[in-house]
Amino acid sequence: MKRIIIITTCLVLVFNYMAAQDSKLGKTQFMVRGYGHAGLDYFSTEGEVNSSYIGGAFAPIFIFKQGNRFLFEAELEFELEDNELKIGLEYANLMYSINDYLMVRAGKFLLPFGTFMERLHPAWINRLSSKPLGFGHDGIAPSSGVGIELRGAAPIGNTVINYSIYSTNGPRLKDGSIEPEEAGMLNFENYTDNNNNKAIGGRVGYLPLSNSSLEIGASYFTGKAGDKGSQYEDVRASLWSLDLSFVKQISPLKGVLDIKGQYNQTSVSSANYFDIEETRDTSSSYTFNNLSSAYYAQLSYRPSMVENNILKNLEVVTRYSQLKTPEGSGWESDVNELSFGLNYWISWRQVIKLSYSNTNSTGGHDNEDGVGEQKSNALYLHWAIGF
Amino acid sequence: MILSSITLAIFSNSCTSQREISEQKSGAELWGQNCIRCHNIPSPSAYNDEEWETIGLHMKERANMTTEQIEKIVKFLQTAN
Repeated sequence: MKRIIIITTCLVLVFNYMAAQDSKLGKTQFMVRGYGHAGLDYFSTEGEVNSSYIGGAFAPIFIFKQGNRFLFEAELEFELEDNELKIGLEYANLMYSINDYLMVRAGKFLLPFGTFMERLHPAWINRLSSKPLGFGHDGIAPSSGVGIELRGAAPIGNTVINYSIYSTNGPRLKDGSIEPEEAGMLNFENYTDNNNNKAIGGRVGYLPLSNSSLEIGASYFTGKAGDKGSQYEDVRASLWSLDLSFVKQISPLKGVLDIKGQYNQTSVSSANYFDIEETRDTSSSYTFNNLSSAYYAQLSYRPSMVENNILKNLEVVTRYSQLKTPEGSGWESDVNELSFGLNYWISWRQVIKLSYSNTNSTGGHDNEDGVGEQKSNALYLHWAIGF
Repeated sequence: MILSSITLAIFSNSCTSQREISEQKSGAELWGQNCIRCHNIPSPSAYNDEEWETIGLHMKERANMTTEQIEKIVKFLQTAN
């Protein structure tokens, strides 16, 4: 209740201010931007080989701007998956810039939980063809949420600080009633809240160098995740993340060095889940320490300052990524992945990416051998464009 | 406490230090230093003046940049396109 009163009071202040400014909104502008990619994927898992062309993933972003302060933006995702066309709404939110240091946005927005999902995941920005472990399907880090957010940035001397505070519907706990092996996992697609508790979160980023080449950030996100009225109603999810980015054109190296990384930890309070799988022991319910973690570290280099026109458009990239999910859960896993990539930049927003990943995993509910070790290799050739 | 902080942020309209910083750096310099933090540096000729204004507001939100940084970058792109 206290949170609702605070949020309502803030909204009244904001809307009152917007109404006063309404006559100054000015003319409207509309743009369609976005990105897309296509390519060939090749997978080899324990001797079984699969390859497929992947076609025409298309993500248009619609941007409507009124005056210098109001913006509506929405991103659709069209993707061919499992012989079907899948359409998703990545985000759709309204934003109003209240003053130089404060913006408010509401709707479905990319969550600033670290930086990968908010800033780096589009195919023409991500230096590799895949996401780091822990993001995306069955990931432990959220990508978007439905709610309201305050964000902004301000200089402090020669440095810059940016912040975000938000409230969303929060994650939804999978109790195992639909997929028993996923009991205890979080589902971040919680568009209609499954309980009355609103999650809160935020990120603070700091750029300590005057040339803005380094940014370090810390994020936190917490909320109750169980269904209202169920025995899991008070089960709470708490997530935190640390991120780092260093990007700089370095003259002695004759190019741009780009280092990025993010560590995520997700914990869910204790709960008893019902065991309806034959493989488990005789007890009717089980519990486990529901703690997951994932991280990635990525390094890329592009010799953009050399004379040779072909060489200056090449980029090499490597990334190490690891994901650990809870011991004793039906989705217990320990996965690590090492990736290498060679990119050729046709223009500043168009790239051909050739990348290779080697993955070692133990457990995971997608692993047919149960908890056995599994090795897989993947080769991707993708052509991506931002527009 | 939270309310007073937010109210203060809403109604504050000037900051001397921000103006000092903005005077120190050109739009071209900010363009070269900030866009590259996520993606390659965009060509000024990629969009027209109005489009750069729209993209500027979009990027101010997405990359959480300061108003002064965005204003100077957009102004530079509009003169260089």
